[in-house]
Amino acid sequence: MDSCVGVEQDLDKALTKFNSLNDHTNRVLQDIIDQVEELRKEIAKQPESTLLSPAQAMVVSDLASSVKQTVFQMSTEHRELHATVSRVGKSIDRHFIADYASVAPKAESFCNDTNRPIMEQAIAQHLYRQGLEDVGDAFVAEAKITGVERTCTFALLQRCAAALAEGDPSAALHWAERRAHELHTSPLPFTLHRMQAFKLAREKGVGAAIEYARRQFPAHAARHERALQAAVCALAWCTPAAGPAPPIYQHLLDPKALGAEAAELFIKEACALLRLAPLSPLAGGVLAGARVLPALHDIRAKMTHPHVIAAWSDDELPFEVDLGEDGGGYHSVFACPILRQQASEQNPPMRLLCGHVISRDALNKLAMGAKLKCPYCPMEQSPAEARQIYFS
Amino acid sequence: MNELKSLEHATLKVPYEVFNKRYRNAQRVLDVEARQVGSGASELDAATRKQPVTTGEIDSLLGGMVEKLTTMKRKASEAITEEVQAAYVCKKRLEHLKEQAAALAEPSTPQVKAMSYTSQTTLNQWRKVRLDRMLVDYFLRNGYYDSANKLADARGLRELTNVDIYSAAAEVEAELYSQRTARCLQWCADNKSKLRKLNSNMEFKIRIQEFIELVREDKRLEAVRYAKKHFSTYEEDQLKDIQHCMGMLAFPKDTEVEPYRSLLQGVRWRALVLQFRWEHARLLHPARLPALPVALQLGLAALNTPQCYSESTRVSTCPACQPPLNALAATLPHAHVSHSRLLCRISRAPLNEHNHPMVLPNGQVYGEKALKEMMKEHGSIICPKTKEVFCMKRVEKVYVM
Repeated sequence: MDSCVGVEQDLDKALTKFNSLNDHTNRVLQDIIDQVEELRKEIAKQPESTLLSPAQAMVVSDLASSVKQTVFQMSTEHRELHATVSRVGKSIDRHFIADYASVAPKAESFCNDTNRPIMEQAIAQHLYRQGLEDVGDAFVAEAKITGVERTCTFALLQRCAAALAEGDPSAALHWAERRAHELHTSPLPFTLHRMQAFKLAREKGVGAAIEYARRQFPAHAARHERALQAAVCALAWCTPAAGPAPPIYQHLLDPKALGAEAAELFIKEACALLRLAPLSPLAGGVLAGARVLPALHDIRAKMTHPHVIAAWSDDELPFEVDLGEDGGGYHSVFACPILRQQASEQNPPMRLLCGHVISRDALNKLAMGAKLKCPYCPMEQSPAEARQIYFS
Repeated sequence: MNELKSLEHATLKVPYEVFNKRYRNAQRVLDVEARQVGSGASELDAATRKQPVTTGEIDSLLGGMVEKLTTMKRKASEAITEEVQAAYVCKKRLEHLKEQAAALAEPSTPQVKAMSYTSQTTLNQWRKVRLDRMLVDYFLRNGYYDSANKLADARGLRELTNVDIYSAAAEVEAELYSQRTARCLQWCADNKSKLRKLNSNMEFKIRIQEFIELVREDKRLEAVRYAKKHFSTYEEDQLKDIQHCMGMLAFPKDTEVEPYRSLLQGVRWRALVLQFRWEHARLLHPARLPALPVALQLGLAALNTPQCYSESTRVSTCPACQPPLNALAATLPHAHVSHSRLLCRISRAPLNEHNHPMVLPNGQVYGEKALKEMMKEHGSIICPKTKEVFCMKRVEKVYVM
């Protein structure tokens, strides 16, 4: 946020200056044009062949010099804005990181001739998945990609979601109805019915909405009591004569926000049901990458450049990044609580007799001959009693 | 450090470069027009000094002056309006970036759960737009202009992406493909000072190509004239190329002698297109690579686990597990994990104190909830991986710190 505000200040300054310069230039030039026109009229009063009197010559020559001065003044004024313009550029450079790629030395390899087609395949896959067949076709043609499936189940869901975002829940409702028995614990059906009710309220009046709510809402009353109450209350503000709604209902009355929310929920629930990934591989990768990048920039600020490169040569990223709830966590990862490192095939997780899990390397280090004391509880046991377990 | 700061430099910098260019353009227009009016004024001044002079003469001179001033007014206002428009493009993108910052900053206090839910939705929406912007940028920088235009139109992103800025580049490339150079040379002239600063040899390369075309058409005398005109002001390291060119004059155009044979090949035009694309991007973008491969590479590294490469442990939703990205992830380091992060393989729900990890006698670990559900349904537990059957009694708790 700070970075945006910083740039905005400089940009706004530049904008005001240029706008006022524009007005000023126009005004001054118009003034001087008027002056010249006036003088011309004055002189034109006399017949063409009369000689110019010395007094008139004076006036004309004065005007000539003032015109000259004004126009050069104008170009100087514009030149003086150079500092303002370049300040915007400097401000952008200062508040944003220009060379984001410096922390990803391997990114170059994604653009070479072997890897680029693979990445572009993923891009085409993503485009088709989003239901953008037109764009996908154009891209496949331009980038000469082969072997991407044009249709996928996800595109259908995406179309329902797009319709939802536009404010039309009918396609999604139809989809949800066919799978009603699998969705009985999900908030999706209620959200869709609620949206339909508000749509009816907008299009056919509150009466139709209440009629619809009577038919559909009771089935969801137990699970969504609060939300149901709020929805019915909010209908009171759907009449044309109603004033502005109180803030807690505004969100329900905004078809765009409601649609976007429903679309997101629809994708989430439908993907969970069909065991599909809600994000395309490309989107998932980029989302995680956008979170890693700032962290890497941070560490680069603390380390000298060669160290970062050295960190990359390892087989692990140099630090842990929290990818958030929706950004990562696709696999179970067991990290040994003793060694604080990820388990591997050579160093698998072992369950001690007492139930605590540590890695095999840690186990070997802790074992004293045929005796081992669990590091977490008082139980003594033999290392041979530990068993390998599998998290994935 | 946040996502905006580390990823969005080019989003603002590219329109700023346009703004800066328009500013310099406007300055030039103003200077030229001022000089025009100035010379008109001097003429008028000189006329008044030269006695005798009739009012008719003065009248026509004043008429000329009015005309010049009107032109100046029109041109100045046009140029300045263009500058302001370019600045507004910057402003628009800044507003878009601020949306994300606002969604991040919004307090997610529990009593306004509904509100925080919407802010999460806006944030997700914004990220979707960001991916689309990255894709458009990637398309533009790789010359997939049609795709870029279609995507930008489909998503309504013309103002937030550089499609319009790149449309001129697309025209230059199309011309180069059809072996014409006028627009490219014009572009070189327009950006002369910046190209020199970047040590670009774009113009020189084009000149050489034109010379080669003359030789190919067997207009050798004209070629020599062309060389006299354009090669005389060569730079230090270009002498060798010029020597090769001049040497070519001595050979027939279907010669097998190197390097003249390769100089005469048509693929050089394709190389010119690629070089132009690269130089054009270099002028606009401070970063060498588009954001998409950078973010993708780092993201794959962060998601990469050793389990992504064995058929039995792959997860269908993990980006690093699935082809085609799997092949790319294989070249990358693994994510660093110092705390266990466990998921039930049946329900994909996290394993914690509410959903205890349980080990079957064969060593496989699953979540307590999923196993209980399975028990309810089948009356016994069938390990999803090995298909062995166990009863609930033999399932034991596992404690992971």
